Amino acid sequence: MKKFVALLLAAVMLLSMTSVFAEAEKTTLTMWCIATESDANRPAYEAAIAAFEAAHPDIKIEWEAFENQSYKVKIKAAMADPDTLPDIFFTWAGAFLGDFVDQGNVYCLDETYAQFADALPEVMLGNASYGGKHYGVPLTMNIVALFANMDLLAEAGYEAVPTTYEELIACCDALVAAGITPFGCAGSETWCVTEYLEPIILKTIGYEALNEIFAGRATWNDPAIATAVDTFQDMIIKGYFDPNGLALGNDQVKANFIAGEYAFYQNGSWNCGEVNDAEGNFQVAMFPVLDAEKATYSQVIGGPSDTLAVAATSKNPELAAQAAFELGKEICHYGYLAGSGLPAWTPDYDTSAVKPLVADVAAMVAAADGMVLFGDTAMSADPANTYLNFVSKVYGCEIDGAGFVDSLTSALQ
Amino acid sequence: MKRTLSYKLNIFLFLLPALILFVGILIAPIVMSAYYSFHDFNSIASKSMSFVWLDNYKELFSRTLVNAETGKTFVNDKFMGDALVNSLILAALSVFIQLPIALALALKLSKHITGERFYLSIFFMPVLISTVIIGRLWMNIYDPGKAGILNAGLKALGIDQWLFPWITKHITSSKLQFTGQWTGFKETALIAAFIPILWQYVGYHMLLMYAGIRGVPAELLEAAKLDGCRDGQVNRYIIIPYIKPILKVSVIFAVTGSLKSFDLIYTLMKDTTKAELPSTLMYKLLFLHNRYGLGSAIAVILIVLCFIFALLISLAFRDRGEKVS
Amino acid sequence: MKKNGLVPKQVDIVTGEKKRFAFKPKALLVHLLLLALVFINIFPLYWMVTFSLKNNDEILGYSTKVKVMEEVVDAETGEVTMVEKEKRVQVLPNHVGLPKHWEWSNYTEAMKTGNMGQYFLNSLVVTVLAITITMIASFMATYAMTRLVWKGRKTMNKFFMLGLTIPIHAAIVPVYVMLSRLGLLNTYSALIFPYAAFALAMGILISSGFMGEIPYDLDEAAFLDGCGVWGIFVRVIAPLMMPAIATVGIYTFLQCWNELLFATVFVSSGKYRTLPVGVQQLFGQYTTRWGPIGAALTIATLPTLIAYVFLSKRIQDSFIAGAVKG
Repeated sequence: MKKFVALLLAAVMLLSMTSVFAEAEKTTLTMWCIATESDANRPAYEAAIAAFEAAHPDIKIEWEAFENQSYKVKIKAAMADPDTLPDIFFTWAGAFLGDFVDQGNVYCLDETYAQFADALPEVMLGNASYGGKHYGVPLTMNIVALFANMDLLAEAGYEAVPTTYEELIACCDALVAAGITPFGCAGSETWCVTEYLEPIILKTIGYEALNEIFAGRATWNDPAIATAVDTFQDMIIKGYFDPNGLALGNDQVKANFIAGEYAFYQNGSWNCGEVNDAEGNFQVAMFPVLDAEKATYSQVIGGPSDTLAVAATSKNPELAAQAAFELGKEICHYGYLAGSGLPAWTPDYDTSAVKPLVADVAAMVAAADGMVLFGDTAMSADPANTYLNFVSKVYGCEIDGAGFVDSLTSALQ
Repeated sequence: MKRTLSYKLNIFLFLLPALILFVGILIAPIVMSAYYSFHDFNSIASKSMSFVWLDNYKELFSRTLVNAETGKTFVNDKFMGDALVNSLILAALSVFIQLPIALALALKLSKHITGERFYLSIFFMPVLISTVIIGRLWMNIYDPGKAGILNAGLKALGIDQWLFPWITKHITSSKLQFTGQWTGFKETALIAAFIPILWQYVGYHMLLMYAGIRGVPAELLEAAKLDGCRDGQVNRYIIIPYIKPILKVSVIFAVTGSLKSFDLIYTLMKDTTKAELPSTLMYKLLFLHNRYGLGSAIAVILIVLCFIFALLISLAFRDRGEKVS
Repeated sequence: MKKNGLVPKQVDIVTGEKKRFAFKPKALLVHLLLLALVFINIFPLYWMVTFSLKNNDEILGYSTKVKVMEEVVDAETGEVTMVEKEKRVQVLPNHVGLPKHWEWSNYTEAMKTGNMGQYFLNSLVVTVLAITITMIASFMATYAMTRLVWKGRKTMNKFFMLGLTIPIHAAIVPVYVMLSRLGLLNTYSALIFPYAAFALAMGILISSGFMGEIPYDLDEAAFLDGCGVWGIFVRVIAPLMMPAIATVGIYTFLQCWNELLFATVFVSSGKYRTLPVGVQQLFGQYTTRWGPIGAALTIATLPTLIAYVFLSKRIQDSFIAGAVKG
């Protein structure tokens, strides 16, 4: 028994010595992100960190990647005890980071930004600025794009992606007649449904109106939104979407699209690299306009959202801020070349190697008439998730357009 | 000796480790949860908690809410009622399907049939597998795509021909066709979640009951046999009344387990709204909506419910036990 | 009765008679039914192991274009010519069969990127220490409540039994706040102590059953030999509680080994990540690559199952002991 107790005590003591001894001569900066092994951004992070450490041999970046959903829980929980925060953390811009800024847990980057102002247009910091101060370093930016499998479209007699709604519907009918499923959408992941719903709403009511609604300055009470939702549901009920999508995850749907099972797949532009590299003939386009009086073809959903921020509790906040900018710049650089996003930073490198699909989307962004940040990023946590709760009823047609509009009008004041 | 045994300091010291763990990590947090549940705050770190009295509880139990400005009523997306009903359905399925299967197996296996150990071992095995793994495994089994083994099996047997349209006919929550998306519809998702639970825990309850049956005194069984009781009668009049305490434990575990159930649904479905349970709703309210007061209120309701059910079940078993004797 | 080579060595508990093997249609039916259940229990695991060794083409099937020569009849001349055409052919998935190509690389991949070995070890450390703490705390408390004499010991016991029904997840926010105040987040302790606390009620319930069977005479004898309560506990009770160790261990193991939510929220560093979280993480990484997922599932399950194969009798007996005495 005594031996046993002694052993136990020894074990407990060992466990309590959890601190890691850093190499004495190096400064260690810790970082959390969501670039897990399978994430499209992983190689960009690896390259950026390697480049940073090579340029600063006295600094070591100790980084850890978490799965997207559990990271949201983790980072929010860590804010309760800011001492557990790493020096640099990945966050989404908009209201997500805004909550942390309100709690006083984020280091203001204004001073450090001055050095990088030439390479990083101030407009790109807009989503991570609160009260006129900058709190986040944007990495890449992304928009929602309509990916099309041109081989399948050709089978239905189409040489180009339809640019008007009527043409798109005719194209879908032709595809269905040819035994091809037009669209794939992961109905079991609400954010994937918003990748379809938000562009359809955007192309019905225009970007000014949608921006006002997402910002909470206008209500959802607009019959045009109800029409947009009904349009989307019509397409689902008519069988334009893979019925199995209701229980599929996004990765499965994406894999199906790449394997040539759907003609179209509408999702974030971070997929460009992957789709570009896949076997087959793919193009990118925009969802067509539904109401030409209010919207134009080149209005897009998206904007810079992926962000690095520095914890206010960091022991070396200035150094961490410096590192966040340098890392952000490089992650953007490698991410752009790999096709996992569009540059928020002005490229100062050879962009001739950028993949064709990525270049196409970059051109769309350059030509964009107006941009609306993703709804769940633009809104703060409670309204954003209430919005998502109602969106999750849309794909299964549990609620119709009027019901959707009525509910959101009343639920989100 | 009695004086030594009732020496207060010793009693206290013996209880100390358990008390520290129990009060520190169970009771105190529950008291804190109760305190939180009367407040509204949107971050764990928040220093500005506003006291809202019972508003959180009212919000959870309102199917519809009224907009303060327009006076319009609207659907409350944080309504807890459906989740509660789902967990009660799960509890009922556990008690009326899972436990009878477990009991039947236990009764059969305790009769020393050939291969008793083998059967016991196999049936208990899933209990030892991580729920996360079981969730993922069944997610693959239910997969509506080409890899899903369940739909492939149904198709091979031609059952999908009549089963899928029949299910579609009974789906009222959605206008979509059922083509094998077991986790995609409210009507099927809960059953889809129950089957892995049944699969995993039948063995647990079976072994509990088996243990109870092995504890039945041999003389009692012998006497019954001498009186000419058949197997069925022995089961009914001797064994089942005798193992009532164990049945009670099984029922309590099945019911409170259903109320607490989280891991399986969380891993089985990307979108838990199709089979929302109180614990998954709590998780959402806490960590997605940042409504810590509201989430804590669910925690309190869960504790109280588990408690009430445990008490009711105990009472139910005591009453009937008295009548029998 | 004839001697029969098939006589099993079983004894009827009631009559003490040796049972003879006899062919009964009813018994056969029962066995068929039981075997069907065995199949249902085993099949998902068999399926898991086989798809862990397949590649996606075999699991999902695939469509491929095959060049086919087709006869084309010219409508005017009636001439028959052979024309090469591309046809799309669906190759059906291999659902239940053994792999055609054994894809062992799935395992090296799951091992390498998944870090499963480390997670397994972490789970082991957390579970073993949680079991140890539960055991010590519940033995001591049970001793105080069953052998020591004081008012309110019954009430105290009921108080502890509250823990049986309290859902572990209900305490997540306050426990998080507490752990962070104590600076225990991101350590093994962040999981060990909460797990031990939640397993305590069951531990006490089982220990009471076991301790109740130790004769009180032994305490008295030890007392007369000059032992105090601590002496009685350490020299008499603790050694006789050895059989309870396995039982408390099993029940605690079942509670801790699978826990997901605490393990996700309280531990962020990969160094202390437990198996369920690691497996969950891996799903996020290989969502569409079924092979490595199957491999990870198998790796995470196999050690427990192997241990079970060797210890199944022991595990079942301990579990049964808990049910009878609890």
